[in-house]
Amino acid sequence: MIRSIILLAAFVGSAASAQYQPYPYPPPPPGPGYPAPAPGYPQPGYPGMQGPVLALPVLEADLRAKAGSDTVRFGRDSYVLTPQAQATLTAQAQWLIQHPFVRASIEGHADGRQTRDYAFALGERRAAAVRNYLIASGVPPQQLQIVSWGRERPTTAAAHDATWLQNSRVVTVLKQQESYFPPQQPIPQPYR
Amino acid sequence: MRLSISNLALFAAAMVAGGSAQAQSQLVIAVPQLPTPRNVETEGGQTGVIGIQIAQQIVSDLRTAGSIYPTGPDGLRHYTPTEAGAPLYPNWANIGAGALVTGYVQARDDGRITVACYLYDLKQRREMTRKGFVVDPKEWRRAAHRCAGAFFTAVTKRPGHFDSRIAYVAATGSRTVPVKRIAIMNWDGTDHSYLTQGGVTVTSPRLSPDGQRIAYMSFAGGMPHVRVMDVDGSNDRQLVQSQSMSFSPRFSPDGRSIAFSMAVDGNTDIYVVDVDGGFPRRLTTTPGVDTSPSFSPDESRIVFESDRGGAQQIYVMDADGSGQRRISFGGGANSAPVWSPDGERIAFARWTGSGIGIGVMSPTGADEKMLTSGWQDEAPSWAPDSEWLVFQRTQQGTGATSLHTVTVGGGEPKLLATPTPGADPNWSGAAQ
Repeated sequence: MIRSIILLAAFVGSAASAQYQPYPYPPPPPGPGYPAPAPGYPQPGYPGMQGPVLALPVLEADLRAKAGSDTVRFGRDSYVLTPQAQATLTAQAQWLIQHPFVRASIEGHADGRQTRDYAFALGERRAAAVRNYLIASGVPPQQLQIVSWGRERPTTAAAHDATWLQNSRVVTVLKQQESYFPPQQPIPQPYR
Repeated sequence: MRLSISNLALFAAAMVAGGSAQAQSQLVIAVPQLPTPRNVETEGGQTGVIGIQIAQQIVSDLRTAGSIYPTGPDGLRHYTPTEAGAPLYPNWANIGAGALVTGYVQARDDGRITVACYLYDLKQRREMTRKGFVVDPKEWRRAAHRCAGAFFTAVTKRPGHFDSRIAYVAATGSRTVPVKRIAIMNWDGTDHSYLTQGGVTVTSPRLSPDGQRIAYMSFAGGMPHVRVMDVDGSNDRQLVQSQSMSFSPRFSPDGRSIAFSMAVDGNTDIYVVDVDGGFPRRLTTTPGVDTSPSFSPDESRIVFESDRGGAQQIYVMDADGSGQRRISFGGGANSAPVWSPDGERIAFARWTGSGIGIGVMSPTGADEKMLTSGWQDEAPSWAPDSEWLVFQRTQQGTGATSLHTVTVGGGEPKLLATPTPGADPNWSGAAQ
């Protein structure tokens, strides 16, 4: 009891002794791989921000490294998430939660053995299943959008039943933000 | 065959069609070259030359109709323009033909030409039909197509397709990142042009019944949606303002509304909207995928595909969405139904587990018949005469696509040559 009072007093004391200081902007990120700041935003960085925003290829490589893959696969005609797909998506969800300023396009595909219209519907269905799983895993819905490519973008040029089934997939594609700072809000004033 | 042939002189040329030993009678039509009163140089060439070319075009058009055997223009006697309207029957008695094509080409003072064509029954010695056009000399081929179409209709009592157009998706680039453009051409592959320029992926071109507008699906802006434009590429606009993906458009037979599919959060249903926009009416509500709608010619019903029962099957409903019932029970997964212009048949694609082929059935699901058995034949579309179908064929291994035609009588599909690999064809129902 006494110890907790002491701790509380120390905490209050440290808060009271904190003086307002303008938050210094960090220097611009060096080298390639970093996008230039958008016009109107002098320099990136404010309290709570998690480091500099990285370029898409860097982010995508990071997503693949942390989540294992940016792709989940399906059986023919199926939009059921396999246990393996669920494990991948759980890791993708954690990554997306840690990167709230990165938007993702969930792109569904169907294999070339589906007729064209059905392929569009099936790709959309798969993408919706993936999006719903990510939302259930805690990803904000506004961070995600879904697109179906139907069978218009096969992964392999060869047309065989075995290889075409590889096209039954959903890919999480990260999207470039329109501006450098996605949340269009003023830089918060530090707490006095 | 449904030919009205009782009062015609016929050559009974037996033809084995599609493996079924079905005897088919052919009418021999003699097509001598069209004379000209005075050989005049025009923008399209000399009128005498145009007369020969029109006769050649009529022959090549009619040759594609299985029930007609055209001859000429080589080897047939010449005649004067005055004989065109009143043939000297005894002079044509011994050429072995049942019918005769005559006509003339005449230059006009305004720079255009008059093209007249007649079809005579040589046995009955009477006129069967006639056509006359005043056209730009460079458009003589159009007149020839229309003459051939009128002759085909006079013989078979069915609309011809010689003046019809086919829209399709032309694919270039690699298979994994293809460049897709909408192209349009005459049914025989001539007069080919591109309507979109390949900047965005486009699919599913669908011509309006009058052939003046085209509905298609575009990836412009990232979200796939249905667009409508004129066939010259102007007035391009989005059909429905929606944040959801829309696809699979199809015009109603009167051209005033469009049925299409829209996918909302994993559920695809069929909607109908006025061609000029407005609020779409939803016709299906099942949790399954309902897509590929196609109107019956009287617009009272819509055939579509649905996987509400598991695999894709073909269903029919009334135009207001009521009375939905399955009609395909022939096995396999059946998809992409299209109602024929005469209302007698529904063409579809069937997945058997090892391949996809084109078949036809009656609107009740009876009289089912498979027409092709390729590795992957799909996307059937009817010609205006309800006799021919154009479809997309994919080669195993290379994945190369091409357009083929086949008749409902069966037989070997014919390649429809296109400059680049073609897919997703749509035959216009443009009337004569």
